[in-house]
Amino acid sequence: MEKGEILQQVNAIFIDVLDNDDIVLAYETSADDVEDWDSLNHIQLVVAVEKHFKIRFTSQEIQRWKNVGEMLDCILTKNA
Amino acid sequence: MPDFTVNDKYEQSFAITGEVYNGFIQVFKDNNPLHTDETFAQTKGFKGRVMHGNILNSFISYFVGECLPTKNVIIHSQEIQFKLPVYLDDKLFFEAIVTGIYESVNAVEFKFNFKNDEQKVVAKGKIQIGLLS
Repeated sequence: MEKGEILQQVNAIFIDVLDNDDIVLAYETSADDVEDWDSLNHIQLVVAVEKHFKIRFTSQEIQRWKNVGEMLDCILTKNA
Repeated sequence: MPDFTVNDKYEQSFAITGEVYNGFIQVFKDNNPLHTDETFAQTKGFKGRVMHGNILNSFISYFVGECLPTKNVIIHSQEIQFKLPVYLDDKLFFEAIVTGIYESVNAVEFKFNFKNDEQKVVAKGKIQIGLLS
């Protein structure tokens, strides 16, 4: 799966979890750029991403992410 | 996450006693006749006053707060579907199974159901808890 395709799928997850059809993620998007992407919703987003891609992150991995692109890179390494 | 493993099962029985029913009404003031008027409930096709569905949510609160192997818990979310009416003095059998463990965010998911004396599912759903460090 390519990074752009993963971005589309993650975007759909964000729309569903945050209940906001207007979300358009880019690689450089961070929590500061998305309304309601707070610490509690972050948990729901991570759980939803893990379920969708059938992967598991570590707490160290998610703490390193600075933006959506780094989340996608992490997903890519686990799907490789 | 040492306290939980996928497929762990928890069981608990609950009773909707007069104390529970009256306490719920006293605190939350939901006096809708479906819950409080025997005749009204019967005209709507039920055999008697239908107990408030959110009493079951309160039992879930007890389960999470008191029945798990750790007290370091917080409820992130719970979803419930009500399948059959529950009546005063019904005994309910609750079962919850761990369906997912998310160590990255210290979260655990369960699916659960409540069955009545006839072993019929009266409600079912999902709970996600967080483990406090």
